[in-house]
Amino acid sequence: MRSQAKGKLISTAVATSIAMASPAIADSAADRAVEAAKQYAGTTLNVFYEAGLQPLDPKNFTGPMWEELTGIKINVIEAPLDQMFTKIMQDYRAGSGSFDVLNVVPNQMPDLVFAGALEPLDELVDKYGYRDELNGIAPVYRDNQMKVEGTIYGLPDDGDVLILYYRRDIFEDPDNMAEFKAKHGYDLGPPNSWKEFADIGQFITDKYAPDLYGAGMLRQPGNAQYMFQERFRVEGGRFFDPESMNATINSEVGVRVFNEMIEENKFMPPGVEQWGFIEAFNAFLAGDIAMSISWPPVGRWAAGYGKGTEALNWIPETKVADKIGYALPPGGRPELAVGFSFGVASGSKNKEAAYLFAQWMNSEEISLQRVQLPFALRDPFRTSHFSSPEYRSRWSSAPEYLDTLKAGAETGLLDLSLIQTDRYEEGIRQSISRLWAGDDPQEILDDLADQWNDLTERIGVDKQRRAYVDWANKPNAYPN
Amino acid sequence: MAMAKTGSRSLKYLLVAPAVFVILLIGLYPFIKLIVTSVQNITMFDDDRGFHGFVHFARLLEDSRLWESLLHTFGFTAVALPLELVLGYLLAILFLENMPFKRVFVAILLLPTVISPIVAGSTWRLMFDQRFGPVNQVIAWIAGEEVKLLWTVDPDLVWPAILVAEVWQWTPFMFLILLAALSNVDKAQLEAAKIDGASHWMTFRKVVLPAIMPVLVIAILIRALDLFRVFDVIWTMTGGGPGTMTETITIYAYQMAFREFEISYSSAIALFVIVSLTILVIAALRRVEIAR
Repeated sequence: MRSQAKGKLISTAVATSIAMASPAIADSAADRAVEAAKQYAGTTLNVFYEAGLQPLDPKNFTGPMWEELTGIKINVIEAPLDQMFTKIMQDYRAGSGSFDVLNVVPNQMPDLVFAGALEPLDELVDKYGYRDELNGIAPVYRDNQMKVEGTIYGLPDDGDVLILYYRRDIFEDPDNMAEFKAKHGYDLGPPNSWKEFADIGQFITDKYAPDLYGAGMLRQPGNAQYMFQERFRVEGGRFFDPESMNATINSEVGVRVFNEMIEENKFMPPGVEQWGFIEAFNAFLAGDIAMSISWPPVGRWAAGYGKGTEALNWIPETKVADKIGYALPPGGRPELAVGFSFGVASGSKNKEAAYLFAQWMNSEEISLQRVQLPFALRDPFRTSHFSSPEYRSRWSSAPEYLDTLKAGAETGLLDLSLIQTDRYEEGIRQSISRLWAGDDPQEILDDLADQWNDLTERIGVDKQRRAYVDWANKPNAYPN
Repeated sequence: MAMAKTGSRSLKYLLVAPAVFVILLIGLYPFIKLIVTSVQNITMFDDDRGFHGFVHFARLLEDSRLWESLLHTFGFTAVALPLELVLGYLLAILFLENMPFKRVFVAILLLPTVISPIVAGSTWRLMFDQRFGPVNQVIAWIAGEEVKLLWTVDPDLVWPAILVAEVWQWTPFMFLILLAALSNVDKAQLEAAKIDGASHWMTFRKVVLPAIMPVLVIAILIRALDLFRVFDVIWTMTGGGPGTMTETITIYAYQMAFREFEISYSSAIALFVIVSLTILVIAALRRVEIAR
């Protein structure tokens, strides 16, 4: 009861701070969007969102606020993440114009652009004076998740990054520290390399299992493929030879990463191969694992932020609220897994109104409130979000949390993005499921390389090379 | 007289016209559209609606993943169908006799068939989960120690897990149809066979089987077609994995059409499947007809 009241209090405080902030920022990008959008009062915008918690923001928070400010209704249409690309393409192909504002996964943006499903936004950005505020988006998202071939097609709106969460009480226990140092010759702390990760994980499992395991990770192929993409590059792997466009995923590095992943499962809880976001999250909250790598909501929910909020009633009681440490994953180059940018559907009948809604949502002023919604899955993505005194005061370790996210937003690695990216990623997903099934890593990766080469051949080697080189030349595609 | 006859015939055509129109609209039009699309070249980026030859059909022959998925489909059908048939028959025999609360038990037995296959698949996935699933917990309790059985990951367990879900859901369908058929077997013939000293097997082969054959054939045909186009249970339990180990033809066609947007190629796959199945079904029906 008390925690529910606390949840309501947070929501109310967020809403109040918006109301108070509005007059303070004169003629902000948000204000300009609202003023311009009033001419479209009475229309309805169809906004396409990932199903689940994400849509609660436009449904319960920003949608009603936008309607009150502009007279434009917001109708939210939802689909599971893995169906979003398909739905956008189907709608575009059918020419039905069912969507106005789109949530686009950045590495799928080139495919949607080349297919013609997204509207270029440069003109609208200039018309409504949004360029300055776009510069406030953390560079890794702004420079990599906004444009295709130099044209803006999306407003980066989600700071997705895979961060390491660890049990500070276990890591800072004097006995553990002494025993670990005696055994391995270096201090027990957040692992800097995958070797250290394995040492620490095994040490904790040996000492505490089955009550506590060293780590528990995202191992379902859909999630694990991001971790593989990260590790493969951190350890020096390259996806393709840029000259021939031959796949080099089956290199010695790829095989080593696969072998290490198999080995690590041995100090993780039995059945970890089936773990996705929810399983790893539950285990961390229950205090069953000492380390996990996952998306930012884990870090705040495990700390108890949003406790009592009705939309988060499904989350089990956290047993680790005051015991969480935050760090970058081994190698210090976290994967910017998934993420979202706001785009405008080329088939929309209300393109300008759709853009204005996206600008308003994405603006400095409104986005700061949105990323603090306890139930939101939108993670901090603007420089101002990381430094916000309001956000930093939300729970005791919020400053450390936000600093870690900020560090990730500087060093994070982009998801692979090519023409028909999903087909290449599907290959990785299938390879990981074969890995868990016990197939030989070299054989799996050789098959994957063949599959990628066939695909590249079918798409067109030159065409795909241009897309790959364009992606590979981005500052955060490879660690160096 | 002749005019009245012509008028009456026109009226008949007029009356059936709406039904024929609807059938053509929902049956024939998609089929023609499928044929047309299969010889075009519609992909994620190309929208070439001109005649593109039979390249997609040629690709079918070289596509090893397609043939593997067909093999999985036939294998799955070949195992699941007899299992459902035998279990359904045994249950029907059991319920032929009068017993207390028979109607209640029958109703309970039929519950799985009213559940959406996608819900059934998701539920079974949870049932087989290592951390939360009751299946491994029960096995661990019997074994007296913790077990690690990754039902949706381990290649040796993944098909049995899918089969359990499928057989659990659709055996009651077989049971219901066979119960109805067995209830209608001529009691006098059964008694005559008994008086003549016929064994159980002879009674089944010479009396029961011929009596239930027409219904049995239809039930087998319906279930075989259902099994051939199985999608939901496998999709929710394994997504076709590990790798492509449990990928059936419908899952592969879905992947091609809606994940990879190879619209023309997936149309060729669909056409190939429709034509093959039609030939098989016609052959099966003819065989039954000849046997009768």
